Amino acid sequence: MTTAAGTSTKQTLLQRLDGLRQIPTIPAVLAPLLRHLQQPIEQIDVQKVTDLLSQDKSLAAQCLQMANSPLFGRAKDVQSLRAAVVSLGFHHVSDIAMSCGMLNILPSEKSTLDPVVFWEHSLGCALICRHLARKIDFGDPAKAYLAGLLHDLGIIVNLWVLPKEFRAAWEVAKAEGIPLHEAEERCMGFTHCESGRLLAEHWQLAPEMIDVVNCHHSPEKSADSTGLSALVQLADLLCRMSDLNYGYVECRQVNLIEESGFAQLSHYSKNLNNFDWARLTFELESYMEEVHSLVRAIYRT
Amino acid sequence: MTTAPSIRAGFADPLPEPELVLIRDVIYKAAGIFHPDNKLRLLLDRCGRRMKELRIPSLREYCDCLTIKPTRQAELVALLNEITIGETSFFRNQPQLNAFKSVVLPKIIQAKSHLPIRRLRVWSAGCSTGEEPYTLRMLLLEEAGAQLRDWNTEVLATDLNERSLAHAQEGVYGSYSTRNLTPIYRSKYFTSQSDKLQVNSLARSHISFSRLNLSDDSRMTFMKSMDAIFCCNVLIYFDLASKRRVIQHFFNNLLPHGYLFLGHSESLYGVNDDFRLVHLPGATAYVKGERTLSGGKSL
Repeated sequence: MTTAAGTSTKQTLLQRLDGLRQIPTIPAVLAPLLRHLQQPIEQIDVQKVTDLLSQDKSLAAQCLQMANSPLFGRAKDVQSLRAAVVSLGFHHVSDIAMSCGMLNILPSEKSTLDPVVFWEHSLGCALICRHLARKIDFGDPAKAYLAGLLHDLGIIVNLWVLPKEFRAAWEVAKAEGIPLHEAEERCMGFTHCESGRLLAEHWQLAPEMIDVVNCHHSPEKSADSTGLSALVQLADLLCRMSDLNYGYVECRQVNLIEESGFAQLSHYSKNLNNFDWARLTFELESYMEEVHSLVRAIYRT
Repeated sequence: MTTAPSIRAGFADPLPEPELVLIRDVIYKAAGIFHPDNKLRLLLDRCGRRMKELRIPSLREYCDCLTIKPTRQAELVALLNEITIGETSFFRNQPQLNAFKSVVLPKIIQAKSHLPIRRLRVWSAGCSTGEEPYTLRMLLLEEAGAQLRDWNTEVLATDLNERSLAHAQEGVYGSYSTRNLTPIYRSKYFTSQSDKLQVNSLARSHISFSRLNLSDDSRMTFMKSMDAIFCCNVLIYFDLASKRRVIQHFFNNLLPHGYLFLGHSESLYGVNDDFRLVHLPGATAYVKGERTLSGGKSL
């Protein structure tokens, strides 16, 4: 239930969101990169992407570090962005560029949610979305990756715009072992889904990405017909029940096939009803180690 | 000469050696135990031991031993023995135990809150040399002053192997199986016996050991009213039909709110449709399919 305090926090959020344009740390490259990568593949210009990335040296260095990780195809000694495109393929470079771009808009303040933890969760979710999409023959794995990466955009908004209030919500979630969005709703009167939607709209993301940001905890409310929000809901749950959580343990039991996302996703994938969730869960162990070491390595860059 | 098998480390794409992936799939299909990509090196090492023993020079030929040759079933058992060797220790699967304590126990307590008798029964099925049931006993004793206050708790421990059971009842353990014990557990539940540790009377209380063949249908019928069953790395040796029978017994043995825990990376996929996989923090378990405690969406 939304409290009076929550309502006033929500008003504060709306007021402060006007200031989002002034967030200084949003790399200039990210918005145009995002817009460019959302185009149909045949319209994407490799040179333009590498040019955009090259504008930001630290971003370019992070991209190269990721390009050398097994998570993105185990390319050996990729020395340049151009070489990364050649050896990894364009989709992986897009994934990497977006991942690093997202990393750079996180506040460096660690007192609330450690940016390393947040980033591990987002990257983990992106990888699991891609993996799951491939396993169940669900649409475009690259789009699934992007959806997983962006789904918690609202947490970044909350960290920037209402850090004190968000911290209180996170502390409640951690202390009680409950989902973060439930604690946000209780303490702030809104969740990262709503604040994320505002930023996603402001950035003019594709409608299905705005939907993912807005509905990944409630895919039954999704207006989008691609099923992406449902896919992200399940991948996000798998992350939160594993070592790719938000830095605390959610003390609960999840039955994936009872989640609304499962029923929705069944419409898009015939493989889902007999899907081996146990095996998928075990397979994800491989990602965890790599995600932890990669994110920590990048943060030292 | 037998050459050491090699592996292109890691996972994702490109895939590791196809023979190794095939062996992983054979093991998963036959035994239900899965090796994620980051554990393939371990699997390769275990295959290497068997190859050395059999003087087989290549992974491809060893793969044939597991899939084509008439002795493939025996070889699979030999490989499984290599895989599970040294698996037994106290507090072996900490995330599973944490999930049992912090999520499952409160749910069981809640489900039984309306009953006049407060009794909790946990079964360690295939308890081997006793590390698992003693671990469970200690865990329940630690909760006796908190969420299990005023509850009678009981651990049943069964195994087919009499030598293992004798070891379990003696309760004396070396440094390898006690390596995960914290100083608090050591001092509270063990006494020193030269360079070994012996389980004390407190940890032995309300724990019963008995010999049981999980394929013995008549005796399995009597293992009633369980709140939780732990059966870790035991079913991997059963063929599909036997496994199905044992799992059906477990289903019947468990109370409606009951939980079945398997070993790390062990799955019931393709074995039983009545149990439902649930995700707990850092672990998975199986619950009875026709209901959930929250009456719908799990919490």
